[in-house]
Amino acid sequence: MFKDITLGQYFPTDSFAHRLDPRTKLLILIMYIAAVFLVKELWVFAVLIAFMFFMTAMSNVPVSYVMRSLKPLRILLPIMFLLNLFMISTGDVLVSWKFIKITTGGLKQAVFIVLRLFALVCGASLLTLTTTPISLTEGLEKILSPLKVIKFPAHELAMMMTIALRFIPTLMEEAEKIMKAQLARGADLESGNLVKRAKAMLPILIPLFVNSFRRAEELALAMESRCYHGGEGRTRLRVLRFGWRDLIAVLVFASLIVLVILLQKYLPLDDKLFALISGAKA
Amino acid sequence: MISVSNVSFSYDDGTPALEGVSLDVPKGEFLCIVGHNGSGKSTLAKMLNGLLLPSSGTVTVAGMDTADNEHILDIRRLVGMVFQNPDNQIVTTVVREDVAFGPENLGVPTEEMAVRVDEAIKAVGMESYAESAPHMLSGGQKQRIAIAGMLAMDPEVLVLDEATAMLDPMGRRDILRIVRELHEKKGITVIMITQYMEEAVGADRVIVMNGGHIVMEGTPAEVFRMGDELRAIRLDVPAAVEMRELLLKEGVADCGDAMTLEELSESLCRSLLKN
Amino acid sequence: MPIVIEKLTYKYQSGSVNEFTALKDIDLTIQDGEFLGVIGHTGSGKSTLIQQLNGLMQPTSGKVTVDGFDMNDKKQRMKGRALVGMVFQYPDHQLFDETVYKDISFGPRNMKLPEDEIDRRVREAMRLVGLDEDEFAEKSPFELSGGEKRRTALAGIIAMYPKYLVLDEPMAGLDPAGRRAVSDMINGFRKKLGCSVVMVSHSMDDIARCADKVIVLRGGEIFKYGAPSEVFCHAEELNEMGLEPPFAARLAAELRKKGFALPQSIYTNEALAEALKPYGKGWRNV
Repeated sequence: MFKDITLGQYFPTDSFAHRLDPRTKLLILIMYIAAVFLVKELWVFAVLIAFMFFMTAMSNVPVSYVMRSLKPLRILLPIMFLLNLFMISTGDVLVSWKFIKITTGGLKQAVFIVLRLFALVCGASLLTLTTTPISLTEGLEKILSPLKVIKFPAHELAMMMTIALRFIPTLMEEAEKIMKAQLARGADLESGNLVKRAKAMLPILIPLFVNSFRRAEELALAMESRCYHGGEGRTRLRVLRFGWRDLIAVLVFASLIVLVILLQKYLPLDDKLFALISGAKA
Repeated sequence: MISVSNVSFSYDDGTPALEGVSLDVPKGEFLCIVGHNGSGKSTLAKMLNGLLLPSSGTVTVAGMDTADNEHILDIRRLVGMVFQNPDNQIVTTVVREDVAFGPENLGVPTEEMAVRVDEAIKAVGMESYAESAPHMLSGGQKQRIAIAGMLAMDPEVLVLDEATAMLDPMGRRDILRIVRELHEKKGITVIMITQYMEEAVGADRVIVMNGGHIVMEGTPAEVFRMGDELRAIRLDVPAAVEMRELLLKEGVADCGDAMTLEELSESLCRSLLKN
Repeated sequence: MPIVIEKLTYKYQSGSVNEFTALKDIDLTIQDGEFLGVIGHTGSGKSTLIQQLNGLMQPTSGKVTVDGFDMNDKKQRMKGRALVGMVFQYPDHQLFDETVYKDISFGPRNMKLPEDEIDRRVREAMRLVGLDEDEFAEKSPFELSGGEKRRTALAGIIAMYPKYLVLDEPMAGLDPAGRRAVSDMINGFRKKLGCSVVMVSHSMDDIARCADKVIVLRGGEIFKYGAPSEVFCHAEELNEMGLEPPFAARLAAELRKKGFALPQSIYTNEALAEALKPYGKGWRNV
């Protein structure tokens, strides 16, 4: 049953973060990314991660859900870590065994990359966990709408995204039904080489495409019947409004950036930390 | 309200779908158009709000010609249209927002829109689903949402183009009940296009189409007296009429114009149980 | 040998929070040559049930055997599936090939039959569903009308010579003449091929016309099972469930309430007319 699939990974609940304007959330995501890239001191990541827990708390989303979004990274992260660890040879040598050499520079870089990716993915998934795809689309439309001056089709793009979001579950369900209908006619989708298997998909893809075109045609008629005539003169049921929450959120994220900059400038603890590690080894 | 005069229409490949069809629909009527697949009834439906334009002849809605591009939005606002496939007329991912799609296009102010949308959802009895995702609803529920989407535009005419064809009996019953209610309470003009003869029974007038022509026209009682003619053009009569024909043929009872189970059973009681 | 269903339970997303029991403890046997009508609401489990018959879905617990082949077993399932022809509701979900002829041959070709046998079967299937070979064989299935598509889809399954023919709402969306034609067709190949038929339909009138046995599902359980007369005599109960019993059964129930003495077994117009005849001849009810 594909029916139960929720798109994106929206976690339906009510929270400070859920109530933020999607435009604000897009803006603070950018601010957050800026903060992540500003971090040059490893220990400042601790601050950032603490901040992330704070954000998660403000979004009412269980930590396990946020962690789940890291799943696709479970292969990438270790590889990145090891690559950086072995390839970079700056700083003091920590371990040296045959051709393997681990240096403080390598270690630092490896930890850095992993933490940065981790922080970025968690931040981005917090956005999708607290924002429905549709309001994200709305936010994007609004943010991009000034570009209409240079003929950028902001409304059309948003409409397309909306329709896509609406129809993905319907098409998934249809694909499942078609697959069953062809399996019942003895279609073999699993055996044979790649070419043969690709060919075996045709009895599923063709009806799916043909039906989608018919759907598109019917949908166009229905939309016309409902007086759709492009974005001109359209009003919206839900009007996006900035509120006090949005102001607070932006201020908090701005302070985060300032905090990162200040901490790095006045509290460079990393060197001391590494000195400790190398000292212990020596 | 709607006036179709001498309309013909051919598809791109030249096959004629309608030939010289004329039809007047007064305000407040409940009209049913029946015909088999390919009789031209759906083509006619799409003429009524200017989705298709006649090759010759004219269609006017409240005095406005559908061929006149200036009035097309006014016409479409006045004539709400519900289609056959429940899946292919819902545009967005939340019921309430979908119902608002029409008013949004019309530029209705936000405060008024919210009122209209909630009223429309209430009129079709879907209040508890206002925040649901359309793909989780049943076919009948989706069609109710489609009707609500029309109601939110404040139409005077509701055209249902085989809107019940893909529904189960329960969904069909619901839609029929809601449409009757809208007709009675809000005085909405209803044009119902269908192949289910049962749905024609409660109409004020029935029009039968075949081969792009109107071949019969009259009250349901008049039309369903012509069972053999209907069957000859790939149609049917309501189950009660079929039963009544059999009873007459077998010489059991003459039930007159009974068209529903209730009418038939009452008539049988009167004629057979009387001492 | 029949299809035997024993203690069949099926749960969607078994074990998760969204677990949903679609079928519960179903016991059912479909005899050779039998015509079984399956009735129930959307969500009553009827679609799930028929998909168990050819192993498109497998039981969460319990067992389905088709002519002795255990459908829980992957190898035996393929052999069982070959005996069960399944026609889904929308022909649009299965038609894909360039021509009607090629589309119908898809099933037989998957069965790896020799070319001349495929050809023979395709022609016969077309004849059985009433598609004229000269007119339709080379046509694209996407150019057909709704009724013709339905026939093509049916032919695609018929050509596989199933021993059990499973039909999901074969009349849905057709006009009255189309419904009659499909109903006649099904009876036609039943006689010709001697296959069992399992037909799901919302319309009990359609089922009343041809079924030997009727099963009514409710909430994943068997609500009623038996000969049509045994099932349809519960007209009022069925009506309350929102299912529409055959018109004659409903009318008979209504008339009984009003004082007519009519047998419980009536579910066809003809039987009802017959039973009413004595009244017409001046009989009086006391």
